[in-house]
Parts: sequence; C-alpha cells; structure tokens
Amino acid sequence: MNSFLWRLAHCLLLMVFTNAAHAQSDRAATEQVAAQLVASVAAVQPGSDFYLGLNQQIIPHWHTYWVNPGDSGNATTIEWSLPEGATAGDILWPSPSRFSLGPVTNYGYESNVTLLTKITAPANLQPGDTFTAAAVVDWLVCEEECIPQQVELSLTLPVVGDSASVGQGSPYIEQALTQLPVASPYTLTATQTPANTTTGRAQLSLTLALPAAQISQVKELWFYPYDWGRIQQSSPQLMKATAQGLELTIETGEAPLTAGQSLKGVLVIKERDSLSESEPSLITRGLEVDVPLTIASTNTPATAEVSGVINALLLALIGGVILNLMPCVFPVLSIKALSLISHANQSPTQIRLHGVAYTLGVLASFALLALILILLKAGGAQIGWGFQFQSPLFVVAVAYLMFAVGLSLSGVFYIGGSAVGVGSSLAEKPGYGGSFFTGVLATIVATPCTAPFMAAALGYALAQPALIIMAVFLSLGLGLALPYLLLTCWPRLQRWLPRPGAWMERMKQLLAFPMYAAAIWLVWVLVQQAGINSLIIALGGMLLIALAAWIYNGTRYASTRWNYVGSFGALVLIASVVAITVVSINTSRAQATVENAASTQHWEAFSEARLNALLAEGKPVFVNFTAAWCISCLVNERVALSDANVIAAFARGDITYLKGDWTNRDPEITAFLKRFNRSGVPLYLFYPAAASTPQVLPQILTPDMVVNVLEKTDF
Amino acid sequence: MLTIQSAKTLLTKMVAASVLFTVAVVPVWAEAIIDKPAPAFSGAAADGSTINLADLKGKTVVLEWTNNECPYVKKHYDLSGNIPALQKAATADGVVWLQIISSAPGKQGHVDAATALSLNEQRGAVPSNVIFDADGTIGKLYNAQTTPHMFVINAEGTLVYKGGIDSIKSNKAEDIPKAVPYVKEALEAVKAGSKVPNPSTAPYGCSIKYAS
Repeated sequence: MNSFLWRLAHCLLLMVFTNAAHAQSDRAATEQVAAQLVASVAAVQPGSDFYLGLNQQIIPHWHTYWVNPGDSGNATTIEWSLPEGATAGDILWPSPSRFSLGPVTNYGYESNVTLLTKITAPANLQPGDTFTAAAVVDWLVCEEECIPQQVELSLTLPVVGDSASVGQGSPYIEQALTQLPVASPYTLTATQTPANTTTGRAQLSLTLALPAAQISQVKELWFYPYDWGRIQQSSPQLMKATAQGLELTIETGEAPLTAGQSLKGVLVIKERDSLSESEPSLITRGLEVDVPLTIASTNTPATAEVSGVINALLLALIGGVILNLMPCVFPVLSIKALSLISHANQSPTQIRLHGVAYTLGVLASFALLALILILLKAGGAQIGWGFQFQSPLFVVAVAYLMFAVGLSLSGVFYIGGSAVGVGSSLAEKPGYGGSFFTGVLATIVATPCTAPFMAAALGYALAQPALIIMAVFLSLGLGLALPYLLLTCWPRLQRWLPRPGAWMERMKQLLAFPMYAAAIWLVWVLVQQAGINSLIIALGGMLLIALAAWIYNGTRYASTRWNYVGSFGALVLIASVVAITVVSINTSRAQATVENAASTQHWEAFSEARLNALLAEGKPVFVNFTAAWCISCLVNERVALSDANVIAAFARGDITYLKGDWTNRDPEITAFLKRFNRSGVPLYLFYPAAASTPQVLPQILTPDMVVNVLEKTDF
Repeated sequence: MLTIQSAKTLLTKMVAASVLFTVAVVPVWAEAIIDKPAPAFSGAAADGSTINLADLKGKTVVLEWTNNECPYVKKHYDLSGNIPALQKAATADGVVWLQIISSAPGKQGHVDAATALSLNEQRGAVPSNVIFDADGTIGKLYNAQTTPHMFVINAEGTLVYKGGIDSIKSNKAEDIPKAVPYVKEALEAVKAGSKVPNPSTAPYGCSIKYAS
C-alpha cells in the first residue's frame, strides 16, 4: 500500500514538473495498445537479478510481432536507460501465435503479452535509494493496416537491503514466465532434403521423439524459426506420426539452412487438456529448438527406402559371416569343417549337398526367429536382437550358459564330444539330416552372441514391415552359413583348412576365455538391473554349476551306479541353482528399485488414505496427478518439479510429495479430479500445513512459481 | 532377400515418385527464382496502356510493390526521398522502373490512375510507369509480400535480385544511410556486368493487401 501511494505521489509530482514529451509514467497507451512497464519485484536488492516486463494490452483483431515477425511486420524493440552499472539482457519472448492475411503469414501476439527483460541491479546501490528504469519502446501494431508506434515508459522502484523484502511484483511477469519456451525433454532431430536445383526449395523434417502414447495427445504442432527464410512461413506444416515420434514436414524458404548449420526456433505444442471432447481446452507449451541440421543423402523417399533396405541386407550378411568367428559358433563350424575332411570318401556333389542342407538348417532357424519376432512385434512388444536382455532372469540364464560353455571348452566336462552339446547327437547323425540340424544348432548357439553389426541391421529392420524383417534375418542366416557353404562348393578351399592337430585342443581351450568374458559382462549387466545382491547369487550359481560339471564328468566313466549318482547329483545342483536364482533375483530387483526410488525420487505414490492421514497430522502435502501419455505433465516435471530449488523447497518445508499416476484411468483418481471440476491431467494441488482446502496451481509450471506457492506464508 | 514381387513394387513406387516429382517441378517457371527467367506478366498501366514484361527484354527492369499509405513506404518516399532518388538515377541509365500496386479495391493503397500519378508528382517520384494489379495476379506470381518489395530483372530477362529495399527493417528515415542499399547495389552490379552481391534478402514493410 505504502509503495503504491509513494509511486502515485511520485508520478503526480513528476507529471507536474516535467515536460510532457518526456514521460515519467509506467503506463502509456495508443489507440490500439495500452503498454505498461512492470517488474517481478516490488523493491530492488543491490546486485540482484530481476525481470522487467513490457506488458501490451492490444485491442481485438490487432496484433504486435514476435522476434521473427514472419513475412512482413516488425518486432517490438525496447531501448533501456538504466542507472549506471545496471545491465539489461535481450528480450525474452513468450511463445508466439500466427496470423495469416492471404498469402502473408506473420508471427506475433494478440490481446495480451508481456515481453521480459532480465535486469541485473548494480551492487553499489544503497537501501533507501531508488532504481529508475526508462524505456523507449517501438512496436508495429497491425490489423490489416499497420501502424508503427512509440511510447516512453519509466518505472521507479525503491532499493532495499535484504532479499526478504523485495516483494512479489506483478502477476504479468509470472504469467509471461510460463509462456517462455523451455528446453525440450524430448529429443529433436532436423533433416533436410537437398535443395531442388531448379526451385532452390527443399523439404525440412523436424522430428520430436514423443512416445507413442503421447502422440495422440497432440492437437497442433507448429515450428516458428528465429530467422527469416528458413521455412516458407505461409506453407502448411504437415504433421505425421512415425516410428521415431512426431514429424513435421515444412517447405524451406528463401534462405534455407545448409549442412552443419543449426535450426533454431520454437516448437509450439498444443495438447488436449481434458478427456471429454465437448469441452476441450488446450495446453500450449513452447519448446526451444536448437538442433544441427543434416542433409539427407538421397532425393526421393522411395530411393532412400531402397538403399536403406540394401544397406541393411548387406550389413546383415557381413554380420552373419562375422558371427562364425564368435566363440559360440566357431567350434561348431570347425568341427563340421573337419568332418568334411573325414568325409573325403563322399563325392563332391554329396559334399555340396551337405553344405546346402546345413544352409537350409540355418535359414529355417532364422526364418523361425524372424517369424517369432514378427508375431511379437504385431503383439506390440518393444523388441530387439537382445530383447531378452531387459529381463534380469534371462541375463543371469545366459551368463550361466556362457559359463557352462566356457567350462566345456576348458575341458572340465564334455557333452557328447561337441563343444555345445544340446542336440549334438542329431548334429552328429550322418547324412543330410545331420547337416540340417547342425545348421539349426549353429543358429541356436549364435543367438546370445551379439555381434556389433547385428544391432544396426536389426534395429533398422524392426521398424520395417514384416517382409523386410524376414529378408534381413535370412540375410543374416546366409552370412552365418556362407563359410561352410563355400567350403563344400569349392573343395579347393578345404586345402586352406588347417590340418588337425594338438592346436585344435589348444584353440578350443583358448575359446573358453571369450565365453568367460561374456559371462563376466553379463553379470555386470545383471548387477545394474537387479542390484548388488544379485552378484553373490550369480557367482554362487556359477560355483554350483562348476561343481555340478565336475561331478558329472567325474562319473562318466565310472560304474553305472556312480554314473547315475553323478548325473542325479549334477541335476540336483543345477535345479537348486535355478530355484535360488529365480527367487533371489526377483527379490533383489524389487529391492533395487526401491533403493533407486529412495535415492532419485522424492515422492510417494498417491492414495486418498495416505493424503488424509498426512492432512490429519497437519503436514503440508503437494499432490501431482500425472499420466504417462500426458505431455505437459512430463514437461512440467522436467522443467519445474525436478528443479534443484523446488526439491530444496520441498525439503525445507518438510512437504510430502504425492504423485498420482492416472495412466490407467484409476477410478479413485478420476473421482478426486472431478472434485476440482477437472476431467483430465495435469492437476497440481498444494495443501499448506494444517489446511483442509488446497491451493490449485496452474497447468503450466515454472520453478519459481512452485517455490513461491510452497513458501507462501499468507493465504 | 528381396523377392521379385517386392522388387517390382519398389520399382513401381520409384517410377511413380519420379513422375510426381517432375510434375511438381513443372510449374517452377511461374515462380520468381534468382538466376532463372523472371515470370512473364502483363498488366494495365496508369497511362492506359498494357505493359508486357516480354516487350521489355533488352532493358533492366525494376519492380517495386508499393502502397502510399504504408509507413515503411513513407519512410522511403515522403520522409527521405530515397526511392524517388533511386528512380531518377535508374531511369536516367535507361532502367525501366515499374511501380506495382496489388492492393485490392477498398483496401489500403488502392488508388485509381489519376491519383497514382498525382501522388508520384507530389512525392517527386519518377517511375517509368505504374501497374495496377488489383486482383493480385502479378503479386502472387512473384510471391510479393510486403510494401516495399523489390525485384530486379536484367536485360536478358533473368531475375537477379529480390527482397527488401535495404538492410534495416525499420520505419525510421534515419536508418537509411546506415543500411546496406541492396537495390542500388544490385543495379550497379547489373550495370557493371558483375554478380549481384546479395541476390536474395528479407523484404520488410506492411503486408500487401491482397483481395484474399
């Protein structure tokens, strides 16, 4: 109150004593625009940062302009006169809207906007002084016709010594802060087709990596570049959902970007607020865009697709060949190759047919794998070549398998005389059947060994239709079968095969070490997934497996009774390993999640019972209703609720943070939302200590706003 | 492995895409692109004649979209005399300077022939002629968006400059001496037979008041 009267008196006095042309008021109006200079504080602390805002109230149908005004028009400019030592930053622009007049499109604001400037007050101010900021503001205001206007504004604030008494400032500032573009929590990528040689035009694609569930929430997406000419401002921006997210295709303008430059601007998302279509409201959020541009290598989408497929097939083929070198597969191959030499009595054609049978076995297995993958993909699962690696149980199982294979290669035990013995009896069958099943075996054994090429080819293939997936997998299989096939077709190559000897045994033993290494790596992955306790479980399991292997092997050549005892003992050990592992890994994983939660999250799950209990205790509570498919919920969480200052404010006030997840339309939460006349998320509530009714926060949060609400002492 | 069927489908897709692409490219000659022939047009002039761009081959042509009430046009006419001075120098060199008014009837800037000529006389402007493009055909052909929006066509009929009159997008006359004079620069380059240094720049001004 005092400050207002003081300001009013100050203004009146100055108006009396000052030349009218030199305005000393914080307000000025033209026929179209009423301008006011506002501040984020009521008093200035020396050396502090605060915001000054130019608020424009514009009459209906008229608009002023954004930093990039569009096809025509001019952005608002502010020329500051500040006390010595004070600095002013560049204008901070709220997210714009667009206005089209025929073929001309402009970017700007209508009805109400506040342009912010960050001011740093000089440190040498003394409490009791005044801080006067004067501004000469130029803008262009247009409906159809345009009028350039200029006003002079000045705002005087008292100087105080401590930060506690700086006061609240104008609500316009807080509103403008929520409208500033924020850093995007989603990845943005920008590609552009090469410029057409005749028109000089290209197609710019801006992709926002939104998860599939959130894509359906987007009502409108529009990109506003900071610079002229990057895009055709009047052209529509086509929005399309792709595997990578939401893609905007925009025609480039007179000054398109070239490779290596960055695309800068604001991407404005309008998201559906409530579920019911009858009263849809939109939440608007601007995301800051600053991404390097890549120029696509091909002109038309069709040729790009074809070359993409061919690349993937080639990579898969090479990958398959390399798979032969993996310790999982090589022993099988080498043994089969050696058996070729031993089958020297067979005719070349027969040997070739063996090769074909092997290849068919491999191809059939890969086709089966591809089929399973296609079916699973149709079922909507997120998969990759190592898809199983997301489950700790599978990881530990594969670790055990690698370890067991390593033991076998080291010579601790032998299964059927072949390196990887399951089904080896089939593989050892003479004739084409044996060759076919060796092919199958090679595939089974190759699955856990991920070669680097595999990830790329498969990652590509999985986004493609079923036919491409099958093609890539078959190509992989062909690569795997290729060396053996070549050996059978060109017997001369067999001469290149090394002669059998002691080196084979040494080689086999050497190959055990990559298997142990793989087991070690998998145990490391397991610990990441299921916590530190899983380490002892995995290593203990391996110990028991080694014991089982030793018992089994030791009794192979003993009497029949010991034979059975040995086999039975080994089996019991393995079974106990499996049982203990399954039980413990699950517990360990649950524990790990809780520990992670406690360390990285500062919230509890919402339930009305818990809320009431806390309120009964008189504790302050902050409630956040969110959903996995809600974009603004995520943006608010990243921008505001995960901010260090906000988390500190929660801690300081001993505020319990409850999070209600409405992803599955939980009826308890739906009822709660209805109480506040909401049918959708986000909804943010703050119950101060010992209060029964909460304060409802706006749907767009900024860190400062949340801290202010949490720390407000007067209600 | 690609089956024959899928290869056929891909090939068909490629052919279809190429055809569509070519079709999309064909209307390009009716667009104002630097270093390409300027789109042909004919328009009614203030003196009652019809001006055809094709007839002006052999001469440098300047197209100036204008609206006498726009503050940005006033900056270059009434407040500074910048454009009249350019017109005088250019026409003395044999350049054909055409003012084009694309404002629709009833909208700002739309004037009849007599008014247009008298306005030029009052402002000391000396364009070779004034073309009335009330339905906006020529404006949309060149994708003219602001007043002023300038285009320079050389004697061979190639578009060598399009964009703003100069580099500072304000409505203040004191900014003219500080700005890079793009049109003057372009005309000098054309006269000297050298390459225009800034062939495509951002136009600025009021939006053209098209009919729709």
